Amino acid sequence: MGRDEPAEGIDVTIRICGAAGDGSLAAGGFMNAAAARMGYHIINIDLYPAEIRGFGKSVAHVRISDRPVHTPGTKADCLVALNDPHSITEFGTLAEGAVVLYDSRPPVYWDEDRAVAGFIEPGMVGYGVPLGELSARATRSTRSRNIVALGALSGIFRIDPGALKEGIEARFGRKSAELAAQNLQAFDLGRSWALENLEKTDAIDFHDRIPGQREGVRVVSGNEGAARACLEAGVRLYAGYPITPATKIMEILAKELPARGGVVVQTEDEISAIGHAVGSGFAGTRAVTATSGPGLALMTEFIGLAVMGEVPVVIIDGQRGGPSTGLPTKTEQSDLHIAAFGGAGDCPRPVLAPADVTECFTLTRTAFEVAEAFQTPVIVLLDLFLCNRTEDVNFSDVDPAPWGAWAEVRAERHEGEGSYRRFAVTETGISPRAVPGTPDLYHAVTGLEHNERGLPDYTPENHLRMTRKRYRKMETLLERWPEPELAGESGRAEVGIVSWGSGIGAAREALAFLQTRGVRAAGFFPRLVWPVCEEALRSFAERCERVIVAESNYTGQYAGLVEQALGARVERLTGVPAAPLDPAAIVAAAGGEA
Amino acid sequence: MTADHYLIIGNGVAANQAAEVLREGDAEGRITLVSNEFFPFYYRHRLRSFVAGEIGEDELAVRSPDWYRERNIRLRLGQTVTAVDLEKKIAYLKHMEKVTWTTLLLCCGGRPRIPEIHYGYRQHFTVLKGLRHARAWRARLPELNRILIVGGDLISVRVAETLLGLGKEVLFMIDDEAFWPLEVTEGIRAELAENLAGRGAEIISGDAVTGIAEEGAGYRVSTRRGAGIVCDLVGAFYGLVPAVDFLFTSGLDIDRGILVDEYLRAGRPDVWAAGDCAQVYNPAISNYWVSIGWENARRLGEVAARNILGAAETAVEPPVNALTYEGVTVQTAWWKKLD
Repeated sequence: MGRDEPAEGIDVTIRICGAAGDGSLAAGGFMNAAAARMGYHIINIDLYPAEIRGFGKSVAHVRISDRPVHTPGTKADCLVALNDPHSITEFGTLAEGAVVLYDSRPPVYWDEDRAVAGFIEPGMVGYGVPLGELSARATRSTRSRNIVALGALSGIFRIDPGALKEGIEARFGRKSAELAAQNLQAFDLGRSWALENLEKTDAIDFHDRIPGQREGVRVVSGNEGAARACLEAGVRLYAGYPITPATKIMEILAKELPARGGVVVQTEDEISAIGHAVGSGFAGTRAVTATSGPGLALMTEFIGLAVMGEVPVVIIDGQRGGPSTGLPTKTEQSDLHIAAFGGAGDCPRPVLAPADVTECFTLTRTAFEVAEAFQTPVIVLLDLFLCNRTEDVNFSDVDPAPWGAWAEVRAERHEGEGSYRRFAVTETGISPRAVPGTPDLYHAVTGLEHNERGLPDYTPENHLRMTRKRYRKMETLLERWPEPELAGESGRAEVGIVSWGSGIGAAREALAFLQTRGVRAAGFFPRLVWPVCEEALRSFAERCERVIVAESNYTGQYAGLVEQALGARVERLTGVPAAPLDPAAIVAAAGGEA
Repeated sequence: MTADHYLIIGNGVAANQAAEVLREGDAEGRITLVSNEFFPFYYRHRLRSFVAGEIGEDELAVRSPDWYRERNIRLRLGQTVTAVDLEKKIAYLKHMEKVTWTTLLLCCGGRPRIPEIHYGYRQHFTVLKGLRHARAWRARLPELNRILIVGGDLISVRVAETLLGLGKEVLFMIDDEAFWPLEVTEGIRAELAENLAGRGAEIISGDAVTGIAEEGAGYRVSTRRGAGIVCDLVGAFYGLVPAVDFLFTSGLDIDRGILVDEYLRAGRPDVWAAGDCAQVYNPAISNYWVSIGWENARRLGEVAARNILGAAETAVEPPVNALTYEGVTVQTAWWKKLD
């Protein structure tokens, strides 16, 4: 191919692996930002140890494509080894023919089977670059090996250096001009060394092409998307206790919220956090908390109170492997049941699950509207993969409310002084709500079962009536919620794939692959995961010969809900691989060849 | 379970044949091949067809990566051994890795030979030894019209033939130094030249290159007789020298190759050599000789492996004919140079 031919069909996955502190995540960040600036689509996921900085393996997983992508990809095309022992464990993630970039002049000799170069298999391409030596030449330390490696990648794959250098200069320039200059030199040394010394034998070639710079495109993580939603929804209180992978939301809001008149409270635990948030919602001020599975478990009592007291509050749950502390830095979708059912009694509340970073913004934004409209806690189920992964997003192109307008879903105001019934039973289940202290609208709110005025009433008739009322809100929500996303075959399908949350991206890619192989495949991808959109689900299942529910948990938590809705068994594609759902696994389950 | 680790430096026919025989004889010992080439084992004699565009790169491969996996043979490509410590039994790789062995088999082959007299302008020579060179030849061929081939080793004859077949203008400057390590008679040389001339090559005899300078996109070649030959490319074919530089400080005896006894042992019980890099002792003539050619290398690899496993075979059998050109058969090994 000539140098000036366009780089069509670019879809490259790069893993940059080092020990914590080697700068692999920073290098991945530079690569993401540069690719997005150049007009490529990206998905990035950072994988890091649960322990405090200084130990364990850190991997930046970057997928760069000239078309939109939904998953991090099944196998990596390139491994950048900043640390040999850790990188050796990465070979299972590499595609056949992958490129391995390694330090060809480490400061000491490695014993056999401790050097990454010894594991490069036939068919792979190894490029040895003296990362440490070049780094020392530029910055008088080996800490810039990651930047040297970026320069070398730029030379080997012919990635236009401009956008990469722009990012490096901006990042280090904030510290000092000298540091920026040193790191730019490290980049240049890596690039020129690769161009002068390496004979390119791999097939990855960006042709120094810039597909088209896109104005307004930012590299955004799911956590950033969710935090932005909080800000735009008018949240005035964030209360939370730090926990991976949700802490970033608190960090962002701690910076941004005070300037908007809001408050961030780091509480002593998650019970206190949800207590603050429910109290704020009760008082009529939008509030949110974010946590992960262990925190959500602690919050269930207060979620029950919010259901019983009909208090709007949003809870963001970044799911990770469990139970207990579990796998703090590994992704999983195993909090669905606790989100939908955790707590005491019949305790209905909506559970929303975004599919990508953009939806972390739009669906969380919608969660506040739904919470407000239905006077209920709403749980937004992210997962570690969604929280931490970054994508290219242009917020100016994003419809902030693609999930419907909910402001109109309000109960009629009460009429008549002294007749205020805070929990009036209505057709929609939604009662007129007045915030505490509103003159003439004083009322009681309690966790006890209560009558329409909020006063304790334990009679079976009242309990049934109020339970029905609370569930009727869910029915109203289902009636008004947009149809779930249907993909692929619109008529009869050989196989129907159901997935939710971050699994939707993998399911979309699997579906597309199956269709290219002539398989009539259809997809059902809900965002409202509880209550289940039964009618749409039945309609979908009726036109599918088989239904496979793909999700990242052991038991098939959503599959169970689907079976309950359909009254029939479905095929469960489940697993806890501590990694995002793999499109190839879905293809295999569907009978296609990945 | 055996603790043996057979470390084979090289990935040509001798190395691969040895690996295969070693695995057949020892199911459990570790076998590692290390090669500074990036490419899996390929048919070197097909490179000429590859250069001509007659076959693709996929048709060069002798074995797939699965062949090695199935036999639990580790193949390390693109990795360069920089030194060996025979006492500690350690090979030092360029990327700062130490690999230990219990048995070392050197099958490191050869590299293109440029006579010292031409060192001043050697960067202007284009050589053809492995796939890397072949790729470069193939990529450049479409833009080449007039090619000067200097030297005249056995490969050069085939290359000239290929170029002529592609309609290129070929000047062939025969150099007495070229047939190293073999020596051919004046008669054979004349016969080869006559055959090439009959195919349209311009044969230049009795002259030699004294300088090369870039001129436009090509070169101007100065000769001893004062000629100034303008051409697009200068192909240098002066034979091969064993690629044994990394062994110079090892303590092994090296002449034109690694000196080995008739059993292919390199002066130590745990170090062996086979293929183009080995200079094998023949008790019958009380002298050493370097062999070249695919079949000879294959056979030496096999003998070395058998002896490593405990046999006592000698490698001084009559060699196999390796190259036939226009009715002239040239044996490429041992003391018997011509058929």
